Amino acid sequence: MKKALKSLFHRFDREVIERQIEDELRFHLELLTEHHLDRNMPLPEAKEAALKRFGNVEQIKEECVEISRNNRLLIRVLKSLLILVFLAGVCVRIFSPELHVTRIGDVLIYVGILGRLFFYVRGLNPSQFTSPPANTSPLKLNETRHTPVDAYDQRKRTPLERVISD
Amino acid sequence: MQGTLELLILKTLSRDSMHGYGIAQRIHEAADDLLKIEDGSLYPALYRMEERGWVTSEWDVSENNRRAKFYKLTKAGRKQLEAESANWARVSQAISRILQTAGG
Repeated sequence: MKKALKSLFHRFDREVIERQIEDELRFHLELLTEHHLDRNMPLPEAKEAALKRFGNVEQIKEECVEISRNNRLLIRVLKSLLILVFLAGVCVRIFSPELHVTRIGDVLIYVGILGRLFFYVRGLNPSQFTSPPANTSPLKLNETRHTPVDAYDQRKRTPLERVISD
Repeated sequence: MQGTLELLILKTLSRDSMHGYGIAQRIHEAADDLLKIEDGSLYPALYRMEERGWVTSEWDVSENNRRAKFYKLTKAGRKQLEAESANWARVSQAISRILQTAGG
């Protein structure tokens, strides 16, 4: 039961989804870096080449997070359910014979509208509203690292932050 | 061209399940690096394909003992591959004919 509840909340948790995607992208970047190191490329250049071949990491991560969040089965079911609740409210409101039943219709309509509004706001990407600090570049490499694998595990930062230095 | 990347991924996964890096490597090798595809662009495509039910994914241990997400083609994915391949053959044949006619 506890496990099921935990899994249910994880489905809503942006951080969990982000972490999984970061792990996946980090794995790819590590192997790409190693691929270049095997060709006797120095580490900083190997990392630069890996990032160049990969593309814009942050943008790709955000795209994946959004696709993943919006298309989880549970969320799709909930969205559909909210539309049904709204429509049920409208039907009750139209065909209700008595005042107290009309109120139930109103409640259903409010639940449907507010629920959909919640999912709309939840789907907004915070990065669209905030500009990154001027001195940060997502593609700048950290020169202090020694091997790609060590480098990714140095600090308590997200895996992707370990790949891309400040 | 729209849907080309999906077709390449579907074809690559038709042999066996693979992680994203494996798919990218296989495409680069097969295309002899003639196609300029950024590796990262595979991931949004893979996530969309998973949403459509063409592929499934699961975390497993890779050939170098690291945790990786492996993608596998579904039955719907195989059908989509057949449809997309047929469509691609038709489009490329049509374009070839037009180019030959224009050249002749």
